[in-house]
Amino acid sequence: MTLIDERIEEIARDIFADDELVMTDATVARDVRGWDSLAHVNFMYSLEEAFDVQFSEDEFVGFENVGALKRMLAAKIGAK
Amino acid sequence: MDERNRLWQPLRLRQLVSSTFIAQPTNGVDGPVSADLDLTAAEQAQRAGDYGRALALYLEAAMTSEHPPADLCLKIARCHDRLESPDEAFTWLARIVDASDGFRHWSAGASLLARLVAKSRPSTGKQCRVAVTGSYTVDQFAAMLPLAALSLGIDLELHSGLYGQYQQDLIDPGSALYSVNPDLIVVAVHEGAAELPRYSDTPDATIAAETSRWVALWDTVSRHSDASLVQHNFALRPESEFGHLSRGLAGSRFSMLQTLNRALSESATQNVNIVDCARLAAHYGTARWFDDRYWVRSKQAVALEALPLLARHTAAVIAARLGLIRKCLVLDLDNTLWGGVIGEDGLDGIQLGSDGIGEAFVAFQEAVLALKDRGVLLAVASKNNEADVREVFERHPAMRIKLEDISAFAVNWEDKPANLRAIARTLGIGLDALVLADDNPAERQIVRRLVPEVDVLTLPVEPAEYRRALSDYLGFEPAAITSEDRQRTAQYRARRAAAEMASSATDMASFYRDMRMTASTAPFDDLHMPRIGQLTGKTNQFNLTTRRFTAADLRAFSESEKHITRYLRLSDRLADHGLVALTIAEIVGDRLDINSFLMSCRVIGRTVEDHLLSHLCRDADRVGCKTIHGTYIPTHKNAIVSSLYERFGFIQIDETDDGITRWQYDLSVRGPIVSEYIEEVGEHDSD
Repeated sequence: MTLIDERIEEIARDIFADDELVMTDATVARDVRGWDSLAHVNFMYSLEEAFDVQFSEDEFVGFENVGALKRMLAAKIGAK
Repeated sequence: MDERNRLWQPLRLRQLVSSTFIAQPTNGVDGPVSADLDLTAAEQAQRAGDYGRALALYLEAAMTSEHPPADLCLKIARCHDRLESPDEAFTWLARIVDASDGFRHWSAGASLLARLVAKSRPSTGKQCRVAVTGSYTVDQFAAMLPLAALSLGIDLELHSGLYGQYQQDLIDPGSALYSVNPDLIVVAVHEGAAELPRYSDTPDATIAAETSRWVALWDTVSRHSDASLVQHNFALRPESEFGHLSRGLAGSRFSMLQTLNRALSESATQNVNIVDCARLAAHYGTARWFDDRYWVRSKQAVALEALPLLARHTAAVIAARLGLIRKCLVLDLDNTLWGGVIGEDGLDGIQLGSDGIGEAFVAFQEAVLALKDRGVLLAVASKNNEADVREVFERHPAMRIKLEDISAFAVNWEDKPANLRAIARTLGIGLDALVLADDNPAERQIVRRLVPEVDVLTLPVEPAEYRRALSDYLGFEPAAITSEDRQRTAQYRARRAAAEMASSATDMASFYRDMRMTASTAPFDDLHMPRIGQLTGKTNQFNLTTRRFTAADLRAFSESEKHITRYLRLSDRLADHGLVALTIAEIVGDRLDINSFLMSCRVIGRTVEDHLLSHLCRDADRVGCKTIHGTYIPTHKNAIVSSLYERFGFIQIDETDDGITRWQYDLSVRGPIVSEYIEEVGEHDSD
């Protein structure tokens, strides 16, 4: 696991209140208990806060799975 | 666990009251502290399921700092949860409040708290059932409220309402809000909920009308329930239409909002407490408080990162309302009221006065006196020779606080806990009414450990920051205003009663009429197809069948001879809500069968369903159908519409094992359904 992977998983565990949650690249929202539209806002905002980035409207909802989210995040951090 | 860890033994809830405005130095991932903490072994133990060992290691790490970082508090709370010691878990959750102001920490703490209270409530803490309603997406704010309350010794049982429904919630005596029988209702509204124009030629009348609208709402609550109200007022947006002239123009929205805020505070009865969001937002920075990206995304009117602050203050107002307020500030002396040590530096040597750091101590003393002037008792607890200390109070020219300002004086060589007990005895108040202000971390720790009922104000390292630390402390939040002020309030109330005659919707019917709602409906068309697809794809609450369709499906419905589709756009005097609801019905012989019926949660409680059903009645008549059939398919989110058809007089004709119900409406028997409050302005029928 890379550092980004670990941070994302840790934040997801916090936000979805499940300290045994495992996030793989193939994970999608419906795999995770409690990942509804409200929790999604909390999750995405927490990522913005933790990584000091901002998502565009498309990025906010547009990724197909956690792997895509990680790639998007890595690109954003790399671009800074 | 060794002896040292006793320092971090969980305190009881009521005792864990260190509620500062801005949190103490933080915190795990985002801060510097965790760099020195090696939690690898603890995390490994936790991952391996050895929560006992993980907990011991975490606690050991926690005792290396006066304020353990929020991430660590969270981990410890989780271990306690696993080890089935809920009260300790609650205690460590409460510490997050003091350790961090970060959204993620609070959000995580709030989630864990919600999970814990679902199993069992805290064994201590004053119970309070709270319903939250508002004008924006208040879920995140509401979720944080029990966490903030927990740290103030309140066991807050939360019920939160749907998006934007505050008027319906408060006006309708049958609303879900009243059905939970709340002790207290929080009305969390944002600037957009103030019904003021951008500019008014008659600002006094405009403000009076808006004030009486709110007061009428409050009065409505008193009629429907015994609950007291906590009302958020209006933060001022950073944009200013008239630039620096705005403040001078009484009719600018900026000026009117300020006047409205004052009028609301002045009109607040015994039953209503105001949370001054305008002040909070200014303190926080209005440019950050208003994060319009999140308004656009999820109708969040307060920046998510500001929510911990808002929750903390709302909880403090609730605590004051419940009488959980501190009565006495106990002051240390050396390096707290003045710089240096009187016993060593002497009267001439201590730092106090207009020079350098001495000025910071003067400013702090002034702030202490301001508290005293509004009724907080002052006491002194200090290890010193009493004669030395008396000399400072009596002879130092820069001393602002005088001996007669001090209600209890404990200057001796006893330890702090003993002196705090003596002070409480002298004043005839409980230890839980005391707050200690002390610059010495060791003294603070010993007090936290031995007299945990006493709240401890952690003074910053810089004396120049003492004043802010004191004003940010929330334990002295006053519960009520003085008798003089109350008199003024009474005068205001008389004026308000007069204004009220002229206005205001206090029952649902007049509320609906007052909204002047108009709808335009039409069959699905290409222009609206993207929005129609979005609405059918994501609507969960007001959705009778929760059927999801592809774009091709929707197109097929709109082209089919056998189907009648209809979307609805809603406007009212405040806003154009856009396309917010739709129906798809199928003609099956002489019945019209409702395939899909759904509505955005933005407009629930506005009688939009009446309007769509009235159209379906007309459609049925037009195509020769005698009955209308509806289906309700239960999901875990759509209970809100489980009795919709019953409400309109449909008869239940079937129920399956999995709870799906079918309903029939006989037009010849019951006549068409009428839409009483929404005027159709742009109907285009499908023929």
